[in-house]
Amino acid sequence: MKVRIGRAIALRKRLLGFLLALAMVLGFSRTASAQTKHPSEAPAAPAPFNPHDLSGVWMQDRPRPGTVLERYWIYELTEEEPPMTAWGEAQFKAAKSSFGTHAVPIDETNDPIYRNCSPTGFPRAFFHAFPLQIVQVPGEVIMLFEWDSMRHQIHTDGRAHDTALGPLWMGDSVGHWEGDTLVADTVNFNDKTWLDRIGHPHSEALHVIEHIRRLDRDHLQDDITIDDPKAYSKPWTGRIVFALKPTWTLAEEFCEDIASFESIEKQETTPAK
Amino acid sequence: MCKCPLGIALVLAIALSYAPAALAQSKQPSEKKAPGKPFDPHDLSGVWQQDHPRLITVDARYWVYKFTMEEPPMTAWGLAEFNAAKTSFGPHAFPLAETNDPVYHTCTPLGFPRIFLYPLPLQIVQSPGEVIMLFEYDSLRHQIHTDGRAHDTSLGPLWMGDSVGHWEGNTLVADTLNFNDKTWLDRMGHPHSEGLHVIERIRRVDHDHLVDDLTIEDSKAYSKPWTAHQIFALEPKWTLAESFCEDQESFEKIDEDAAAPAKK
Repeated sequence: MKVRIGRAIALRKRLLGFLLALAMVLGFSRTASAQTKHPSEAPAAPAPFNPHDLSGVWMQDRPRPGTVLERYWIYELTEEEPPMTAWGEAQFKAAKSSFGTHAVPIDETNDPIYRNCSPTGFPRAFFHAFPLQIVQVPGEVIMLFEWDSMRHQIHTDGRAHDTALGPLWMGDSVGHWEGDTLVADTVNFNDKTWLDRIGHPHSEALHVIEHIRRLDRDHLQDDITIDDPKAYSKPWTGRIVFALKPTWTLAEEFCEDIASFESIEKQETTPAK
Repeated sequence: MCKCPLGIALVLAIALSYAPAALAQSKQPSEKKAPGKPFDPHDLSGVWQQDHPRLITVDARYWVYKFTMEEPPMTAWGLAEFNAAKTSFGPHAFPLAETNDPVYHTCTPLGFPRIFLYPLPLQIVQSPGEVIMLFEYDSLRHQIHTDGRAHDTSLGPLWMGDSVGHWEGNTLVADTLNFNDKTWLDRMGHPHSEGLHVIERIRRVDHDHLVDDLTIEDSKAYSKPWTAHQIFALEPKWTLAESFCEDQESFEKIDEDAAAPAKK
């Protein structure tokens, strides 16, 4: 009899102990099961990548602040105003953009793209909210833009700039690798484009230097330096970061298809992919 | 040895008359027909330009504005569309001011395969999973996916269509569909519908030549498929420049430039 009672008490204690242990186990269950399921799993290792491989479809990777006015990257490279010369300021004031704090209605804009679907020019091509694809072949790194089929063809075969080509909408680009950074140098621009979508200017002397680096498998960074002594009193730099879109393919977005320019802007500010 | 000046002179004369051949043979004894430069038939990359014979009459140069010398076999619908087209090319050309060619009035994208008829070069780049034709004119591109994917109908009707391809031996077979109907098939106004289906058989025949046989299949516009044969020559020193429609001062100038190629 003593044994039986003793056993009952012992069982109760054991049960309590068991329930307590169970509670503890359940409380830690996620970690515990993780530990038991993947005993060797530390924090996930970053996906391997080749820093000299920039290929893929990429899309601008931006934070989402509250107000539309804070999203400067929709229409310009940097939040702060670039250091313009007197000539640059005059050009900027004459530009009637449909973006930014001094926006005009679309039917009053003198934005060259909105008037006649002209090529974007460079680096403006980055400010049209559609993806780009980088294709890399021996001797070239080529950015193909979805918007208006633009391309930025960087020759990496050691050639010099080709002044015989005449002033170009997208400029003439040569590049070379410095470690894991592709340095691309573009000159030989025409003066028919805005630098961005708010009407910052450039002259034919525009010289764009990019430092392009794949940060990890899913991110590409392009530090863009604008050097144009006619328009800007000193060089200035802005940064764009892109995210890899492994399941995307470039589609077509031709300016001529847009029924009105209201619909261009609407389409670009509500990405539907 | 006899002293025979005449004999010697005769022998010498005969020898001299064969001299160039003899000299040639002694300088390049092994050279008969020059062997073709080695090339990889699976490598289509490079800058290419349409390669046409130089016939005498302008009228014989059909390739300036269409794909075949003979008229393609049009349906009733196709013929009606063709008759409504007022082209600035060919034997029934209209003055530029009267043409209803969509490219001339609004700089719309040329579309595919019309882009091949524009007398400016193209560059082929090849990467795993794609063969891409980059055209100098208007920055257009023909992007052939070779990674085994199917056509993507979710892209909607496209100016340049949606292209997938695969290799059959040394021939790249590219299949393009999903076109919009906003373009002419060529510069003369031959039509196509959204049902256009273009099959290309692309083959590098030697180091310096690429052949692209185009089959046009569009049962709304043509009573049966028909094929055009295109040849391109490699231009190893060329780089693509820019030629945007918006830059053209007038379309008279486009036609002048096309008739008198002035290249780098």
